Amino acid sequence: MIVDQLRELCARLLSEGTAQVVIGYGQAAPGKPAYPVFIRRAEDADQLVWNDQCMTNLAATLKRREVKALGKPAVIVKGCDERALIMLAKESQIVRANIYVIGVECNGAGRPAMAKCASCDVHVPRWTDTVIRETESQAAAVRTTPSSARYADLEAFMRKTPEARLAFWRAEFGRCVKCYACRQVCPLCYCERCIADKNRPCVIDTSATPKGNFAWHITRAFHLAARCAGCDECARACPAHIDLRLLNLALAAAAEDHFGWRAGMDPEAEPPAGAYSLKDKEDFIG
Amino acid sequence: MSEIITHAELRRLMDDWIARGGEVIGPAAVKPDLVQYARLESAGLMLSGYIHPANSIKEFFFPRSEILYRYKFTGKKIELSDVVNDPVKPMLIMGARPCDASMLPILDRVFNWDYKDNFYDKRRDAATVVTMACTEHDDACFCTSVGCGPAAEQGSDALLIRLGEDAFEVRCLTGKGRALFQGKTQPGERTAEIPPGPPLKFDADFVRKFTRDNFDNPIWGELTLRCAGCAACAYTCPTCHCFDIVDEGNAYGGARVKNWDCCQFSMFTQHASGHNPRSAQGQRQRQRLSHKFAIYPDKFGEILCTGCGNCGRICPVGLGVLTVLEEISNATPSLESVEPV
Repeated sequence: MIVDQLRELCARLLSEGTAQVVIGYGQAAPGKPAYPVFIRRAEDADQLVWNDQCMTNLAATLKRREVKALGKPAVIVKGCDERALIMLAKESQIVRANIYVIGVECNGAGRPAMAKCASCDVHVPRWTDTVIRETESQAAAVRTTPSSARYADLEAFMRKTPEARLAFWRAEFGRCVKCYACRQVCPLCYCERCIADKNRPCVIDTSATPKGNFAWHITRAFHLAARCAGCDECARACPAHIDLRLLNLALAAAAEDHFGWRAGMDPEAEPPAGAYSLKDKEDFIG
Repeated sequence: MSEIITHAELRRLMDDWIARGGEVIGPAAVKPDLVQYARLESAGLMLSGYIHPANSIKEFFFPRSEILYRYKFTGKKIELSDVVNDPVKPMLIMGARPCDASMLPILDRVFNWDYKDNFYDKRRDAATVVTMACTEHDDACFCTSVGCGPAAEQGSDALLIRLGEDAFEVRCLTGKGRALFQGKTQPGERTAEIPPGPPLKFDADFVRKFTRDNFDNPIWGELTLRCAGCAACAYTCPTCHCFDIVDEGNAYGGARVKNWDCCQFSMFTQHASGHNPRSAQGQRQRQRLSHKFAIYPDKFGEILCTGCGNCGRICPVGLGVLTVLEEISNATPSLESVEPV
């Protein structure tokens, strides 16, 4: 069982001092969404769970001051979560050597499985110190899914008229209350002071009005272009169920189309916005 | 003897209200997997069979964003224009849960104890609130632990209790409620049964004492370590009522706006000096719970929580008022064992 191996590893890492905190999943009751737990004593390792409710991207907890204060972390990641971790390293937010990464094979999280899982091609994390897999698993570490499968929802949406798409976003953003759950659970939203919180001058209206909400979601989307690792945590966290996944997909499709880039897939590759290449397109400069 | 209204008559009453130029707010399936209180274009859009919508009726009295006045610059002159007297439509809230309507007397006090908030009051005056007693509850519900319940009457103008498949017993509680149902109900022999609420989940008096005596207790930080620091709990809470006032405009003019704000944001208490008296998430969680269970009760005598459970249902990391208070109650079984740090 994966969970037994996780608990055993967690206890060992803590007692050997390899990590001061193991960031994993806990759960109040079976079937309830699992949430982050921060295990600091080997004897608490049995609080860890592993099941299809482990949806949270734990990489997002690493940015938090309270978590950094706990010492060297070991963090449990699924393949999709790991992509965010790779991006954090690329953007100098974490030092890989200072984190112990525990990868767990995942064949779909959520009940029913989250939308992203249908076209997942990173079932087994690769950039880890340890990988725990199902004993019987024959799944290949990296499965190739055609990009058409990844972007099917986006393509269906783009077949609508521009007017229909605008009406859709008006309704979606119309429900936004600016709770910033999308930002808070995002592993790549790590700005110490978000532009939405800047008030001298105020760049984005703090009002949850059509203007303020469009400004917030579009600005956030642009800032995450070619950086968003597609974990869809923002969409899951949104209390108003705004379909932020569609925005993320649009960003990912543009990055893949124009730069052949998928955020966090290749630890060696340089991010398009963070590297200069002579092959960079210039045709948009008028 | 009881007063009874059929579902068909109730729908007619709502459609009549809309036809007369009023607004009807009720629980609606705004997306396939999302029930929210929303403006209804017709009574047929109202949903039944929900436990609690994912928002609260708060925003129809205290909107998430509200213009207080507008300003315009002409040379060195500043021109102000009032909006407080702009008319509001008569508003019928139909099918609110008792835990939602219970927030009205709570907010009435906040917005009237000193300064009279005309913006809130004009909406309150224009509203008739009809609640629907709960026949079901989920794990997140805890109304009975905070003095509320499945058929609580606070804040309600009329209470509907399910009577069989196609009717409700109507209990008119105020003049507004009586005016609404005047001539629409029939006398009946049957009386609806009030279903039991959720079991008691914590002792609110214990919580009140605990929060007073344990300001610096590390348990706050420990129990809330996973908090992501968003405002999903506060903005879906019927009773959370903090707001910020900002100017939004440009060199030519703009508006002074009142927007929801939340004590879970680090910016909420950030001083211009750079100092933040609540610099850690645990302190911010302590604040939210202290406000609900000690600060507001000390000032107004009631708990600033109706037990609707939205915080726990909606939190992306499964951390609500109930989660924290249950853990505190379990960790400190009796007051004697609580040692202030």
